[in-house]
Amino acid sequence: MPDRAREPEGVPEAGGVPAAPTAPRRRYRSPLAALVSVCGELLITAGVVLGLFVVYSLWWTNVLADREAARQGDDVRHNWAQKGSGGGSPGTFDSEDGIGFLHVPSMGSGEILVKKGTDTSLLNDGVAGYYTEPVKSALPWDKKGNFTLAAHRDGHGARFHNIHKIRTGDPIVFETRDTWFVYKVYKELPSTSKYNVEVLSPVPKESGKTKPGRYLTLTTCTPIYTSDYRYIVWAELVRADKVDKNRTPPPELR
Amino acid sequence: MYGWIWRHLPGNAWLRAAISLVLALAVVYALFQYVFPWAEPLLPFNDVTVDGPGAAG
Repeated sequence: MPDRAREPEGVPEAGGVPAAPTAPRRRYRSPLAALVSVCGELLITAGVVLGLFVVYSLWWTNVLADREAARQGDDVRHNWAQKGSGGGSPGTFDSEDGIGFLHVPSMGSGEILVKKGTDTSLLNDGVAGYYTEPVKSALPWDKKGNFTLAAHRDGHGARFHNIHKIRTGDPIVFETRDTWFVYKVYKELPSTSKYNVEVLSPVPKESGKTKPGRYLTLTTCTPIYTSDYRYIVWAELVRADKVDKNRTPPPELR
Repeated sequence: MYGWIWRHLPGNAWLRAAISLVLALAVVYALFQYVFPWAEPLLPFNDVTVDGPGAAG
């Protein structure tokens, strides 16, 4: 009971109203102090919101994209199983559903569903997309051309997050319903302008190739967490294996 | 600002704390569900394609 003890000396008039000393102090706060206080609270709020945005970008979008990619991948595999193996040509794939799966052992991120187009909304589902513009991609089963892919480096599944771990000579395998397309990396370009659409050419001269062939190009943003530049990896088809009944993966994936 | 909100919430301290928590969660939900998905494409962090000038990433 310290209040009662002090009462007779210090505040003789305030008897019986314990809340009285704090209430007036709040009422008499100067307008300037109130303004500074509100500004401070707004700044703290802005900091918290920016922190939440980082959490959203680097964690929550991955949660959503992983879920969505797993669902879409299951759909594709289910459709493949229903259609049975062997029948039909690769050209009959429904490109809306995704045309196959990309396996890059050196990135270690499991299989990546590949769909048509590189729209943000499509790539945000945690898939890779093949270019339709500005340079139209060839498809793996085409006789000649460049199969060009894009995917996120961070957030939204971050499918190409570890693209910097790919080295010359590493295998990249693209799996369709009835074929394993086995590619071998022959060139990396760690940084290039985002306007450098030449890298998507049917014959990517910047990679040192001069003759038409069956190439694969991976593109994503770099440095990590920003998108000032683009990271490019080129590979060339080594062989195409038929998928057997058990979908036994080629030796590169074992 | 937050003091003003606190003083205008009904009930005792526990009830106010509970309401504050609900309000904070509602704000976080709105940010994650609506504000951040809207803001993200406007920020230059996640363009992954090579494109001509002016094309969307």
